[in-house]
Amino acid sequence: MSAAETEEAARAAEARRAETELARNPDLAARKVRADRRELDEAADRRALERTWASGRGLWAWLTTTNHKDISARYIITAFVFFLLGGVEAAVMRLQLARPENGVLGPDLYNQVFTMHGTTMMFLFAVPIMEGIGLYLVPLMIGTRNVAFPRMNAYGYFAYLFGGLFLYVSFFLHTGPDAGWFAYVPLSGPGYSPGKRVDVWAQMITFTEIAALVGAIEIVVTVFKQRAPGMTLNRVPLFVWTQVISSFMIIFGMPAVMLASSFLASDRLIDTHFFNPAEGGDALLYQHVFWFFGHPEVYIIFLPALGFVSAIVAAFARRKVFGYTAMVLSLIATAFLGFGLWVHHMFATPLPQLGQSFFTGASMMIAIPSGVQIFCWLATLWGGKLRLKTPLLFVLGFVAIFTLGGLTGVMLAAVPLDLQVHDTYFVVAHFHYVLIGGAVFPLFGAFYYWAPKFMGRMLSERAGRWNFWLMFVGFNLVFFPMHQLGLKGMPRRVYTYLPETGWGDLNLLASLGALLLTAGVAVFLGNYLWARRAGEVAGDNPWHAPGLEWATASPPPAYNFVYLPTVQGRYAVWESDADAPVVVGLKTDCREVLVTHVLDAAPGHRYQLPGPSIWPLLVALATAAAFAPGIFTPWAFAVGAVLAFLALFGWFWSDPKSGNEPGRAAQPAPPAPQLEPTPRARPLEEGA
Amino acid sequence: MRRARAPLCPTLARLGAALACVSAAACRRGMQSALDPAGPQARRIENLWWLFFYVCAAVFVLVMVWTLAAVYRARVRRRETATALDVTDEPELAPAPQTERALRNVVVGATALTVVILFVFLVASFVTGRALWEPADRTNQLTVEVTGQQWWWKVRYLDAANAQNVFTTANEIHIPTNTPVTFKLQAPDVIHSFWVPNLMGKKDLIPGQIAYLWLQADRPGTYRGQCAEYCGMQHAHMAFYVVAEPPEQFAAWLTRQRMAAAQPASASAQRGQQVFMNAPCVMCHTIRGTQAGSGIGPDLTHVGSRTTIAAGTLPNERGHLANWVADAQSVKPGSRMPPNSLSPEDLQALLDYLQSLQ
Amino acid sequence: MSASRNVIDVSEMPTHTFDVGEPVWWGNWGLLAIETTMFGILVATYFYLRQRYQFWPPPLHTSPHPFGPLPELPAATANVVLLLLGCIPMFVADRAARRGDRRAVRVGLALCLLFGAVSMTLRGFEFAAVKFRWDANAYGSVVWFTLGMHALHLLTVTLEVFLLTLWVFLRPFDMKHRVDITVVAVYWYWVVAVWLPLYAMVYFTPRLQ
Repeated sequence: MSAAETEEAARAAEARRAETELARNPDLAARKVRADRRELDEAADRRALERTWASGRGLWAWLTTTNHKDISARYIITAFVFFLLGGVEAAVMRLQLARPENGVLGPDLYNQVFTMHGTTMMFLFAVPIMEGIGLYLVPLMIGTRNVAFPRMNAYGYFAYLFGGLFLYVSFFLHTGPDAGWFAYVPLSGPGYSPGKRVDVWAQMITFTEIAALVGAIEIVVTVFKQRAPGMTLNRVPLFVWTQVISSFMIIFGMPAVMLASSFLASDRLIDTHFFNPAEGGDALLYQHVFWFFGHPEVYIIFLPALGFVSAIVAAFARRKVFGYTAMVLSLIATAFLGFGLWVHHMFATPLPQLGQSFFTGASMMIAIPSGVQIFCWLATLWGGKLRLKTPLLFVLGFVAIFTLGGLTGVMLAAVPLDLQVHDTYFVVAHFHYVLIGGAVFPLFGAFYYWAPKFMGRMLSERAGRWNFWLMFVGFNLVFFPMHQLGLKGMPRRVYTYLPETGWGDLNLLASLGALLLTAGVAVFLGNYLWARRAGEVAGDNPWHAPGLEWATASPPPAYNFVYLPTVQGRYAVWESDADAPVVVGLKTDCREVLVTHVLDAAPGHRYQLPGPSIWPLLVALATAAAFAPGIFTPWAFAVGAVLAFLALFGWFWSDPKSGNEPGRAAQPAPPAPQLEPTPRARPLEEGA
Repeated sequence: MRRARAPLCPTLARLGAALACVSAAACRRGMQSALDPAGPQARRIENLWWLFFYVCAAVFVLVMVWTLAAVYRARVRRRETATALDVTDEPELAPAPQTERALRNVVVGATALTVVILFVFLVASFVTGRALWEPADRTNQLTVEVTGQQWWWKVRYLDAANAQNVFTTANEIHIPTNTPVTFKLQAPDVIHSFWVPNLMGKKDLIPGQIAYLWLQADRPGTYRGQCAEYCGMQHAHMAFYVVAEPPEQFAAWLTRQRMAAAQPASASAQRGQQVFMNAPCVMCHTIRGTQAGSGIGPDLTHVGSRTTIAAGTLPNERGHLANWVADAQSVKPGSRMPPNSLSPEDLQALLDYLQSLQ
Repeated sequence: MSASRNVIDVSEMPTHTFDVGEPVWWGNWGLLAIETTMFGILVATYFYLRQRYQFWPPPLHTSPHPFGPLPELPAATANVVLLLLGCIPMFVADRAARRGDRRAVRVGLALCLLFGAVSMTLRGFEFAAVKFRWDANAYGSVVWFTLGMHALHLLTVTLEVFLLTLWVFLRPFDMKHRVDITVVAVYWYWVVAVWLPLYAMVYFTPRLQ
């Protein structure tokens, strides 16, 4: 038998196996799923889907789209713009600190700038960009057409955008918050931060909260309920696991900062006394509540990046990631432990010593799951056939930087060491190693890896290498000396320092490194702008990568897949073959997706998603009408609540057009061709 | 990829050089350095630091060697096989079981080693931590009350036996060597953090709470401390000095500080005192032995004896003092010290007076 | 272009189910997880602030007594009873929605709306019965905040019931909105359930001195 014949026989056997698997499942039989072999008219189906799902052009279409890829692209671009703004702020700070008693920024402006830098990077860049990439890729990776609640997704983006604009407009009006991204009371309280600066911060938190929580629910529900048939929990890609777990962390972590900022806002606005020691309030209460969110926040940012790393490692080591189960369990352990160590941000406060040892233990313990993951990746690299493309370079950079950051993290968990280096540049170095090394390097790797999917063209490999080396060297030049600065006593958040402290040289070195780091980011921007026009056309799967996102066109069509795929293994593309069954029978004249069961992803029912809608924007505007003027008067909330109710009434009452709005087309679209020999869907009432 | 150099090696070298720099003695010296300990607590922390440092450095090197070896090995293997392989070549879906077993053993071993290291760290950290909180000698301790406020340090030397002996000064704390000193820490406005790296780790001053800390210096010297919790506009300029002196020298200092201010001797200083009492100075400052008795700003009874002004911002020299009195906002924008428009003669007289307050 | 492929045909599958089958059920629980966490941290805040006081409720500045006045029970207790009773019509509507019994859904939701409105009114009296203003001290702040946050949820769920009631009276009784009714029922039960520990915290823990 020739090789081709053997292959053909194997395929046929596989198809038969899939068929019997389906036929034997009583649940599926009861739900009227039929395995079959059909002639499919792909071109016709594609046309029908195109008509139903296309986002359209023009301003109205832009404002009303509910396509997850449109919205995610906005998330990613907006967050990247905020990254650049935060980067400019960082560069200005490095300029100010380049030499002692420098006069580039005065204390008032410097304090605003460092607060803006932290706030921007944490709330407007890191969380949204990770969620944005997740919301783009997760539906593709699990083989569905859109997220579970497309209109809510659009609403989340607008809330985020308004929050970011609100913060930056205030900043440019010289009302930028200046109490730090953590806004500790009493400094941020009514007594010591008069004016509206801190109120701006507190309300911005509310907006980005809403967006993050909405995004988290989208991801969790989409992954739980819309995975392609065959993608059992055991086959969920590591990337998707990281997104789900970090979404759960958002769900349980963000309410804390919601409370902290609400308490703060009400202390400032309506004279409550949560944090006022004179009336029984407590300044440390704020720190507890804030860090109960604040520490998980780090993992919320960093877990999705681990998903990037796993995806890139598998593709460029040309093998499965070593230790799938260990990886998933480590992620879950990280998420759990992440909630149990917030007090290590408060070791210097007058808390009982005994309690602190508990948090030392918990903080050190989290190094174990992180270590397991690093070891598993290294094992994968060792056992694979490496292809040193730019995405993998960024992953190797990640391993180096993140390992160092993790080790300094272990140092910070020890109370005696923390007492010396807490709130010094040592900590600044530590968390930049963890967050830039742990999240931004994988993020840039992810840009290079998924750019072909996002825009259909490859980024330049040569520029990518420049990008990587400039960023890697620049990063270490900026942040490595900061370890030493911290040990030599330089506190954080100082707008200047005296010459006799002897911190000048290392600061100058760090500032010079910032030039390289900036150059690296500039190379990336140039690469992106160049590649959009002139980059090599990518094709569906330029890396021959394993994820389902590569099983469709680049960039993906609005409906993602002509036929929803079925999944035969963790590495769907690698472990699939041409005869794997596809899903047919979903309606193509409305936005229908397949809902599957949580654990085994067996088909459950068909589910119509809403089409374009203006209501998400209107509800977001109503939200903004409540929170933005809410810094001046509590009555704004009453007005905003009424507006929000009216908008939500419209949202609920308007018939969700599950398709493109008929009003936009000159005449009703012709009935979509039914997939042969699909019978018409039965009336809704029979469904139950 | 075909043009690839061996790019990771110089990076490692650079990292190594930078790491080496941390351990170099030159990096350790400093009047505000955690790695230049002058007391038993800071020394214990420093020892703990070097334990962590060397173990962590070894772990880091191991991880880097593993990473680079994987990269190097991949190169070698690629040369052994065909050069025609590209990124599109077939993935390895069923890796050899013996390789996987070996990898599993390595991963399990590395994890076990991690656990052991963390356990050692935990115990070392606990032991060190316990020793930091209890002074060896608890008898006859001197207690100094430090009040951090935006943006200077009020220092009161308490004396439980004799209330007459209690006095107030600012931004400069003298302590006797080889004697534990208790600090009672508080903040009336926002959170500050009291930190003298050469002697001990920091302690936050939380409004509404009182925190205690003890310090001991075992060699004479001047150690700089600085507020370590962001406290607003002039957080950067909220420093202080701890001067550790042999006990007899300290006792002399204490006696001097307990006395009221000297009466101005020269005519100019006498005029300066008049200026002080008639200018806004008197609204905020105390000079014991005169009618100036307000507690808003630093006590100036012995301001001439201090080494710095404006919370460690400027050396206590005539020119700086003049600048500070006339236009504090240009030196330390946002500070509570208002500008004073004095005639040149008045200013000079005032400086004479202030400098005479030894 | 036409090609022969293996398929699984889902065209005969239903378009809706209830509970764990429905994405919107999961979405609702996601929201409730967020809100439950929020109330959990609020409870922690309450007891954190309490342990800073010797007396709780703390004495008012104007009062010579060591204790502040305790929050009064009648309005609050009546409200708890009312909220619990309100679950009955909601349960009726929930079951009826599953059966497809439009009349029972209409009756159940309309009754629920009534319960919600009366409960909101009683909540107004509860605020007065606290005897502290929100700006009196940290105790007043945290109690008002607790009552207020729960009132906000009560208002939200009542408005949702209002919208669904309008829908079942005016618009087609379709499967999507039948699912929505069962999901709002979950929200309603949650609003009642989460209030029970909060009620005990606000009204009874100060009595356990």
